[in-house]
Amino acid sequence: MTAAGLDSARAEAAGMAALIERAEADLAVAEEPARFAAALEAGAPDDPRPHGPARA
Amino acid sequence: MTDWTLAGLADAIRARKISPLEATREYLSRIERLDGRIRAFITVDAARALDRARALERDAMAGRWHGPLHGVPLAHKDLFRVAPLPTSCGTKTAEYFVAEQDATAVTRLVEAGALTLGKLNMAELAMGPYGDNAHHGDVQNPWRFGHVSGGSSSGSGAAVAAGLAAGALGTDTGGSIRLPAACCGIAGLKPTYGRVSRAGGMPLSWSMDHIGPMARTVRDVALLLDAMAGADPEDATASARPVDDYAGALDRPIRGLRVGVADNYYFDGVAPEVAEAVRGMGAVLERLGARVEPLRLPDPQVIHDVAGIVARAESAVVHTRILRERPHELQPAVRARLAVGERVSAHDYLQALRLRARLAREFIREVFTEVDLVLAPATPTPAPSLAEVTVGDGDTIAARMGRFSRLTRPWNGLGLPVLAIPCGFSAGGLPIGAQLAGRPFDEATVLRAGHAYEEATDWHRRRPALG
Repeated sequence: MTAAGLDSARAEAAGMAALIERAEADLAVAEEPARFAAALEAGAPDDPRPHGPARA
Repeated sequence: MTDWTLAGLADAIRARKISPLEATREYLSRIERLDGRIRAFITVDAARALDRARALERDAMAGRWHGPLHGVPLAHKDLFRVAPLPTSCGTKTAEYFVAEQDATAVTRLVEAGALTLGKLNMAELAMGPYGDNAHHGDVQNPWRFGHVSGGSSSGSGAAVAAGLAAGALGTDTGGSIRLPAACCGIAGLKPTYGRVSRAGGMPLSWSMDHIGPMARTVRDVALLLDAMAGADPEDATASARPVDDYAGALDRPIRGLRVGVADNYYFDGVAPEVAEAVRGMGAVLERLGARVEPLRLPDPQVIHDVAGIVARAESAVVHTRILRERPHELQPAVRARLAVGERVSAHDYLQALRLRARLAREFIREVFTEVDLVLAPATPTPAPSLAEVTVGDGDTIAARMGRFSRLTRPWNGLGLPVLAIPCGFSAGGLPIGAQLAGRPFDEATVLRAGHAYEEATDWHRRRPALG
């Protein structure tokens, strides 16, 4: 990777870090990545059929 | 026959109007005639496809039907393991990806009676929204050669649009099913995260990767999803939630469905003819009885950026060997994008994953109390020319790539089901695509609305003039 390419990658990563710094301030301690899958399951339409390990 | 829809072909085979062997020969003949120019395939597996077609024909004659896809010729992006074929993932290395078992999604399609014509071209490592590929040739847009097919599932989009396969599998980490579907004028579905097993497919970003179907119509896509959705012990992220009858639910009316037309972000900087076509789709849905109104969404830029951080970090980890040991083999823009991922800190990556959970929860709560579906453009412009997207250094190209996928990436962060379908054509004769997004695991409603729109319009019936 060229020096210019490295500078560019560093600059983009720094931009990402700044975004996180702005957004993380009010993240609840309880927040964790697994709550993403839980949000999808909770947001799904109601389905009265039982969930099982095999394909339905 | 290669102009037919997948559903039409499956029906014709079932009615014995055409045999699996005849269908397979027709597709192979068309591939031989056209693919030298389109470059949709990396590997054509003619001998095995014909063997399988003969076996399916014998079974059909004996009344042994394998399933709703009996005898239907498909092809799949070259990042799925389909033994004994090599899996290049669009790289220079023929056997780049090795897995213990065939891709679950492909296996399920085969169990439903489909056969595999071969493996399809793609952006290198699935990292690119255009479909250019220095190793396997730039995939051409069947509507106009010299223009991009969209990517990264470029071969999938072009093969279906050109009638080289009745349907195809693609993957979508930032738009890679929906972008080629939009550019090539076909239907493509990014299902809910966890709806389709990712086992046996090359990971790019395990938190953002989705596998989904691409085909001529929404009914075709629903048939493919019916066959491949559901839990899988080989993929812990595959949901155990029961699978709907997607094709069976298509014909229910959409009267009363609430459709929000994205009022922020999604129309910013979008070409006027794209905006007009997508808003026109909203008007058609309204005429069909849906309640269509503008809807302000929680700022999509935030989830777009969060998804980008996660995808960059994970992809750099997955592909660290080629990046460190053979970087010269990678296209400059792919190398540039992976290099950014190497510089994302563990702190930022983990915070991005925590933020994603909150953003998804808030989006689902705020948006889906107001509407059932969200309508938005799929691409900011119709397919640009290959010449204009490949000019410049790696960083310039990478930045341009990011702009082209800015309308699709937020949905990967949210994990929601999104259908891309054609909603018009540009003045230059290129397809225009719209996105319809729905509640998690509510693919049935997304597909139903898309099907109703198709029934009221004829964009999906148009075919590129390829001879």
